[in-house]
Amino acid sequence: MTPVIQARGLSKSYNGFAALKDATFTIPLGRIVGVIGSNGAGKTTLLNSILGLVRYDGELEVLGLNPATHRAALMRDVSFIADVATLPRWMRVDQVLDYVAGVHPRFGRDKALDYLARTTVPLDKRVRALSKGMVAQVHLAIVMAVDAKLLVLDEPTLGLDIIFRKTFYANLLEDYFDKERTIIVTTHQVEEVEHILSDVMFIRDGRVVLEATTDELGDRFVEVMVDAERVDEARAMGPLAEREAFGRKVFVFENPDRDRLVALGECRRMGLADIFVAKMTGETA
Amino acid sequence: MTPDWTEDQPIYRQLRDKVVDAIMDGSLKEGEPLPSVRTVAVELQINPITASKAYQELVGEQLVEKRRGLGMFVVEGARGRLLEAERRRFMEQEWPKVLERMKKLELDARELLKTVTNGNAGGAQ
Repeated sequence: MTPVIQARGLSKSYNGFAALKDATFTIPLGRIVGVIGSNGAGKTTLLNSILGLVRYDGELEVLGLNPATHRAALMRDVSFIADVATLPRWMRVDQVLDYVAGVHPRFGRDKALDYLARTTVPLDKRVRALSKGMVAQVHLAIVMAVDAKLLVLDEPTLGLDIIFRKTFYANLLEDYFDKERTIIVTTHQVEEVEHILSDVMFIRDGRVVLEATTDELGDRFVEVMVDAERVDEARAMGPLAEREAFGRKVFVFENPDRDRLVALGECRRMGLADIFVAKMTGETA
Repeated sequence: MTPDWTEDQPIYRQLRDKVVDAIMDGSLKEGEPLPSVRTVAVELQINPITASKAYQELVGEQLVEKRRGLGMFVVEGARGRLLEAERRRFMEQEWPKVLERMKKLELDARELLKTVTNGNAGGAQ
């Protein structure tokens, strides 16, 4: 099956600053991929390349098209939310729907109305009169009503309260996602998306430093609590990170020799946030 | 409503265990349908692939079967087989430890049995 996105040696510089360096990765159909990285790591540049919003070097194919040269065709099958809380403030909600219906051939106005009917969003109010959560709901209604194959979300829940953030992802799973669609999401709130993701991609200083399914992650990264007298032995095995906990040392290993590790101490699977921190900073919080 | 996932096992494994618990305690009866993959994914906020992996696991263990166009159902005899497996595990792994502990504490098995028949113990039905 042809992947949804295929990148080889993807690079991007802004006035000599390399925002993306030689990124090579593949995103298959029917996945929810989390692109995770610190501020300025290159996440948005990566998304903008995929969306054909910036020029880049290297090879990139999205839904079989070159985003730099076939952006218009590509946009028929791609939806994008840069920041859910922005929509034209002077438009009424029903006008926003009219507008999208006018510009997007794949927009199902009824579907958007149907979704909004389940919320408290008033259709006859202007966007500026809505709460931030309501604006996000309108945005989500629009995006989910577009029959897109690829949905790109850049920090979609930033600044929204916890209840809305939960509903946001629940709605995506319930009304949008299926095995014919692919979602790419960047976020800082790793814990919130952790179990929704099928794949993760870590970006650091413009480089893709990790590309894995979430299933693989649990086997690949292991945390071991080691007694003081065996610390040197653990260090000799080349840990990714180490930290202090209750007077003992905790080491993080990537792809370790399991048998040797079990002998060192109690092994534990790690959550995505801990893996990210260990991988990115070389130490765990 | 996010359940209390732990990090010691993959999510699909934990979901499989939840379904098994539900079959054992009777909250999910034989012949009854399981919630759809999508419903589970939305309710537990997990990826549908994870949910369907858990279901595949249960199908592999012949506790659950797929009925075309209808979804997943608990197979007849699933609870009995689970109980049997759990009892075997108890007898092989837990019971020897209990016996050892009783010995250490110098407890008399007959005396203990009295508390079972007088009290609220269940036992096999």
